[in-house]
Amino acid sequence: MAQEKININFKFPEIDQKIKRIIPFIIIFIILFLSIYTVEANENAVVLRLGKYHSTTTSGLHFKIPLIDNVHKVKVDYQYKAEFGFRTLQPNVRTQYKSRGYEDESWILTGDLKIAEVKWVVQYKINDAKKYLFNVKNVENTISDVAETAMQLMIGDRSFIEVLQQERVVIGDQARIYMQNLLDQYRSGISIQLVQLQGVVPPEPVADSFNEVNRAKQEQETLINEALQEYNKKIYKVEGDANRMVTEAEGYSIERINTATGDADYYLSIYNEYKMYPEVTKTRMYIETMNYILSNNKNKIIIDKDIENLVPLLDQNKFKIK
Amino acid sequence: MNFKTYLNIIIVALFIIISNSLYIIRESEQAIVTQFGKPIGEALTDAGLHFKIPLIQTVSKFDKRILQWDGAANEIPTKDNKYIFIDTFARWRISDALQFFKSAKNEMLAQSRLDDIIDGAVRDEISNRYMSEIVRSSNRDMETYESEIDNNNSDEDLLHTGAREKIIESILLHVSDKLVDLKLGIEVVDVQIKRVAYNLQVQEKLFNRMISEQNMIAEKYRAQGQGRKQEILGKQIQKEKEILSNAYLKSQEIKGQADGEATKIYASAYNKDNDFYEFFKTLETYKNTLDPSTLFILSTDNKYLKYLEK
Repeated sequence: MAQEKININFKFPEIDQKIKRIIPFIIIFIILFLSIYTVEANENAVVLRLGKYHSTTTSGLHFKIPLIDNVHKVKVDYQYKAEFGFRTLQPNVRTQYKSRGYEDESWILTGDLKIAEVKWVVQYKINDAKKYLFNVKNVENTISDVAETAMQLMIGDRSFIEVLQQERVVIGDQARIYMQNLLDQYRSGISIQLVQLQGVVPPEPVADSFNEVNRAKQEQETLINEALQEYNKKIYKVEGDANRMVTEAEGYSIERINTATGDADYYLSIYNEYKMYPEVTKTRMYIETMNYILSNNKNKIIIDKDIENLVPLLDQNKFKIK
Repeated sequence: MNFKTYLNIIIVALFIIISNSLYIIRESEQAIVTQFGKPIGEALTDAGLHFKIPLIQTVSKFDKRILQWDGAANEIPTKDNKYIFIDTFARWRISDALQFFKSAKNEMLAQSRLDDIIDGAVRDEISNRYMSEIVRSSNRDMETYESEIDNNNSDEDLLHTGAREKIIESILLHVSDKLVDLKLGIEVVDVQIKRVAYNLQVQEKLFNRMISEQNMIAEKYRAQGQGRKQEILGKQIQKEKEILSNAYLKSQEIKGQADGEATKIYASAYNKDNDFYEFFKTLETYKNTLDPSTLFILSTDNKYLKYLEK
């Protein structure tokens, strides 16, 4: 051993001197480096002195005793997110349930003993770094166990139809409260910020029948709409027809009364004149009428009043040609 | 070997002895000191630097935190003979490290003891409860599809008041009692039912029931749609007839009034001189009835032709 030591000295005689001069600085630097630590803005650091809790420091530059103080940094102002019933496929996502199928997680029994597929997200913060570090082993697992328990409990007390429709917000709220109670009971230092139901749907094997109901609903609406459309179309036309009928009757009415009034006025004018000279007027009217009739007529035979038996003499054909 | 070497050996030996007599208990730990395998004194739960007799005493450390227990899902028949899988988890801690050291030895063995105790308690409790007691936690009224399809043969499966939380309490109580009896130095903080699930056959049947229920609802919607359509078409015909007959009624009234009015006008004019009216109207009708195609055989003693005689 002594031989080797000498050999090393022989190998680097000129560096040796320089190193000897630098060594104190290096040691000081290392001690300084080991006694300084920084805490980021969203972090708390828990300092253990010889294994015992000493203090919690917030963001900034801090000193510690090297080798004796142990610093654990915890992201206290960070919003953690856990997904249930589904996983966002990103590389930084926790995959602790990788071996289990998501249906085990998401198919939850409802109060009317059916199965709903529930997907939800839990957002939480570490609000007490000391509690988080020293009270519960494997806090993340605990959070997901508690999350599933709370969700199963909430879904289990509601019917399938309620879970699918109106109760979603209430379920999230109550699950959050239930989770918080359990985690407080464990003194885990975790604060649940939000439990949000991302999707509540019928499980895949029955999904088709639910879609069928939606289709049926739409068909129902289509049928009703078509019928109403037809109704409106027909009724508008019939209303038009009815208006026409009434308007025509009104036209008839005006025409009839005007005609009557006209005829009456015409007659009265003549009658008024007739009254003054009855005989001559009567004669004139008679002659005028005969004139009108006979002047337009070409089939006239005038015979003497004494001739009898006229008819056989008439040339029937001639009249026919005419 | 010279004096310097001896000094070195002594320093190294001292260092070993001192470091062997000092030990650190971390904030998450507790410890038991044993002397030749026999525990000495109480469990040490204070974190920090501690001393022991070097080489003779050894230190065994245990976790002080709440630990997890996650059992396998068990298929258990309920009181109403439904086969379901119950998946429970528990949170426990080493409450008495000395006891724990004596009986459970280490966490692995403790976990398997817990398996037996908790699984047993869960099985006892679940097999004594009805399905709906296990799933539900209250007896609040629920809106269900059954009510929507007027299927009033109310499901007797749903008649039992929910008791999920009571079941959990009861399991925890049984487990705690058993742990006190067994003196394992373990305290169970909480037992929870994580998952309740049907076995595959029951699940299959349930899905079939859900499908047929949905089909019934779908049929109901379709039938209602057809019904509404016919109703609307019927209304349409009713409305059509109403509108047209109203219009007919109104038009007849108008026409009748007009005819009446016309009759009145004619009568009041013609009534002044019956003889003249007869003469006037007859002449007028001659113009219409005796058209150019009429054959006139006129005798000279006709009034009109009387002047031809002369």
